[in-house]
Amino acid sequence: MNVHVELLSKSQCFAGLSPRTQRCIADHSTLAEYALGSDLYRQGDPPSALYTLQAGRVKLYRQSAEKCQILALPYPGDCLGAETLPTGTPSPYTATALTAVTAVTLPPDALQSLLDEHADFQEIFLKLITNRLKQFVTLVHDLAFRDVTSRLAMVLIARAEVEGQPHDNGIAFDRLLSQQEFADMVGTAREVVYRTFKRFEEDGLVHMTRSSILIRDLKSLRAIALQEAR
Amino acid sequence: MINTLPIKHSELREIPAFHDLPDEQTQSIAAVMVRRQYAPGQIIFMEGEQAGSLWFVFQGRVKIIKQSLNGRIQGLCLMNRGKCFGSCPLFDMKKNPATAQALDDVTLFVLPEESLQQLKTRDAQLVKALLHIYSQRLEHLARVSEVLGSWTVSDRINDCLLTYAKRDSDEPIVELTHEKLAALIGTVREVVTRHLSLLEKEGVVRNENGRIILLNPNALLPPCACEDHKTSA
Repeated sequence: MNVHVELLSKSQCFAGLSPRTQRCIADHSTLAEYALGSDLYRQGDPPSALYTLQAGRVKLYRQSAEKCQILALPYPGDCLGAETLPTGTPSPYTATALTAVTAVTLPPDALQSLLDEHADFQEIFLKLITNRLKQFVTLVHDLAFRDVTSRLAMVLIARAEVEGQPHDNGIAFDRLLSQQEFADMVGTAREVVYRTFKRFEEDGLVHMTRSSILIRDLKSLRAIALQEAR
Repeated sequence: MINTLPIKHSELREIPAFHDLPDEQTQSIAAVMVRRQYAPGQIIFMEGEQAGSLWFVFQGRVKIIKQSLNGRIQGLCLMNRGKCFGSCPLFDMKKNPATAQALDDVTLFVLPEESLQQLKTRDAQLVKALLHIYSQRLEHLARVSEVLGSWTVSDRINDCLLTYAKRDSDEPIVELTHEKLAALIGTVREVVTRHLSLLEKEGVVRNENGRIILLNPNALLPPCACEDHKTSA
């Protein structure tokens, strides 16, 4: 499917680009759809296309023999992919659709010529890479210095800030992740997530259903999230 | 310490980021760079400080570390000859996200913020070199996250013992019950007790009532993301 320039200018990533560069991106992009559970790109593959999420959610993660570490949960409007195009090395992680996904897709060769010919795009791409880098520095800090309880509270707060909608008595957002996936975000076992969430519920901090999470006491949850145990 | 000896074009050429730049460009970059020297252990910049320069390692090694509110340190990467670090304005960050510390006698070439911003706007080659650097850094941090996230419960118990050890006597002492340790790590008492009995059998710790004596603290060091991937930093 063809991509209209208006679609691009709506995305924050491309908002600052000249009309000429936006036109050029639109000409080389396609609108692609991915089913729940399918991969946009895989760890170890050659550098991927650049994807701009239009609708749906994706998880970025590294997978080894027995462990999975989720690194990020891009939100509609975010860009992902092509992280290693500048070095030509394999993709450092996998991107898998958590829901049905629609994404504007710019293939690697078109991306490379845009980088070579459009200085304003080069600047935007540098910003995309460094923003992801910034996110990983924070992730490393949390993994190194916060305990599992704080990290789980932090994941809930971070998601509430981006995805949360005001609700009668709190802030609500889609659950999106299984207990195992919450465990993969904070580097623990599923049982620990189960126990911790149960305690959060008993303490009146959150209310969880199969499909949604309601944060009832943001202040107390934030206090738990900001504790640095180690 | 600033060393006023000018940076030679040939010296700059030894840094991978400048390999592919034309001569006149490296010459003009060398002219605006500053040579700095640091002794082992000296802090180059602190996490949270404002800093906008781009730093290149010419000699020696630099540790990039993060520090918790409680003073605990986590290595992010080790920068050896030719590597580049810093320059947070490119991240839209006003403050340094980590601390840089000299590991040996270190000589650095510094590209000041104003020069960097000027060069960036008219030099597509330099931006290309920066993209390369940050792309590598991204891969490295993704790996560090994975290693930290995949610490086992045993790694976390060991790490916790080292964190809370009081070191004023010959043998470090952790004054925590197994119950308290379990709460700190996010596990149950039985798991902590089982692991500590194992450590006692191996002669690494001695369990006493309400406290744990560390007989061989070095055996408790968890897998370090920094060391594992030294070569790819």
